[in-house]
Amino acid sequence: MSRAQDRAGTWIGWVFFADLANGLALTFGYMFSKPVTMQYPDKEKWLPYARYRGHHFLKRDDEGEIKCVACELCARICPCDCIEVVPYEDEKGNRHPAKFEIDTARCLFCGLCEDACPADAIALGQQYEFSSFSSADLVIGRDDLLAKPGKAATGGGVVAARLNTKKDVLVETEETQGYNWWRNIRRT
Amino acid sequence: MELIVALGLIVFKVAFLIAILLLLPLPLTWLERKIAGHIQQRMGPMRVGWHGLLQPMADGIKLLTKEDHIPAEADRFLFKLAPILALAPPFVVFVAIPFGESISVLGAEITLYVSNMNVALLFVFAVIGIEVYGVIFGGWASNSKYAVLGSLRTCAQMISYEIPMGFAVIGVVMLAQSMSLLDIVRAQADVWNIVYQPVGFFVFFVAGLAEAQRIPFDLSEAEGDLGAGFHTEYSGIRFAFFMVSEYAIVLLVSVLVVILFFGGWNSVLVPLPPLLWFVLKVAFFIYVFIWFRFTFPRYRYDQLMAIGWKVLLPLSMANIIITGVLLGA
Repeated sequence: MSRAQDRAGTWIGWVFFADLANGLALTFGYMFSKPVTMQYPDKEKWLPYARYRGHHFLKRDDEGEIKCVACELCARICPCDCIEVVPYEDEKGNRHPAKFEIDTARCLFCGLCEDACPADAIALGQQYEFSSFSSADLVIGRDDLLAKPGKAATGGGVVAARLNTKKDVLVETEETQGYNWWRNIRRT
Repeated sequence: MELIVALGLIVFKVAFLIAILLLLPLPLTWLERKIAGHIQQRMGPMRVGWHGLLQPMADGIKLLTKEDHIPAEADRFLFKLAPILALAPPFVVFVAIPFGESISVLGAEITLYVSNMNVALLFVFAVIGIEVYGVIFGGWASNSKYAVLGSLRTCAQMISYEIPMGFAVIGVVMLAQSMSLLDIVRAQADVWNIVYQPVGFFVFFVAGLAEAQRIPFDLSEAEGDLGAGFHTEYSGIRFAFFMVSEYAIVLLVSVLVVILFFGGWNSVLVPLPPLLWFVLKVAFFIYVFIWFRFTFPRYRYDQLMAIGWKVLLPLSMANIIITGVLLGA
């Protein structure tokens, strides 16, 4: 009996296009849902987590002196051979790099240089916007590396952004727990 | 003197209609992409103008400045003729379409139609049938397999669906006792035809979807299997002609549905100006077209033919018979 009723119900559904109506109702509901689009780079952009391996930077010690001792371990361990270090000795007899160049066009951002560094002088930060029209511009020198922003304490959030910001600044996010990418995804 | 005024009025109306029809694809493409975006939880065009409002302008400029390429082995005459053949019929049809009774401007009564033919409905179907030539010529002249397959499909589809479409409106003609679109709307002053002719409306709307070659019946330009169908080889302004023609047909089918089944400019509940009511109803059906497009998948070719011949045709014939019996009783 119930099976016959089911079949009758299916037929009635077919006659009145219940399945098509269901689909239309679903898409209509979605039309008024919030888009999941992140409007990069017009309105907002993502600040990666602190563990993200972005652009390299060189650190200074408390006296403002460059931490790097030009041991060239980073250049040795680099799997793509993109770091070039030339050392010099200052008047106090400390080794420092006269030249410290990273060819970011060849770099694969493995972070081995950061692991190998005995002086904790080099690290990979969160900056990821450094594309260029010329591969020559991608060879970054010592002073530029020193000027790069370091690691932010927080990360994984979305911050307001505007197109064509040339600023090399470190942005901190308020969301320490990271950004909820699923905020507007409907789950049924 | 009177003749000159009358002639000038007709020329003005025709020019106004052409301007509307040529400019309408601009907001419609924007709307279509916006609705598509929001249904898919995207934002649609956002970067040109406020919320991408100027995006159609940018697209238009791009199409106008693109190279107008003609394939080497193409039939050059037919290739150039096809977009015009596809574009002209939807424009011509609007001569017979009324948009309202009349409005008074500066004390003079101006009718909201170019001509009130007593066989307007027949004229509409006759002229819109010519549109298929543009598609067939376009596909044939391109000398491309995709284009030929697309136009073959279109040919079969258009012919199969024009028959149930023609049968579906006979019920409406029987009710109004006239083929003049103006009389058909006047006959719906009290009760709209959708109440008496729900089956007729269903058949007409589905066949209209197929005539406009919109999803779920856009077999002729199925991107997945045919590239772009009959206009695969077209670029630049000739491609834009096909696009304008497609939107003109979407508008035409919406207008016909409103006139034939939804009371034209007759108001319901809220007494708004008749022309506004008409525009609102037409806008709703254009929205339904776009809504369908982003809800349903494309039918298979044999399913398309089966729906046309095995479902719509018997339904429309039964509709005629039942309408006739009930009218006679």
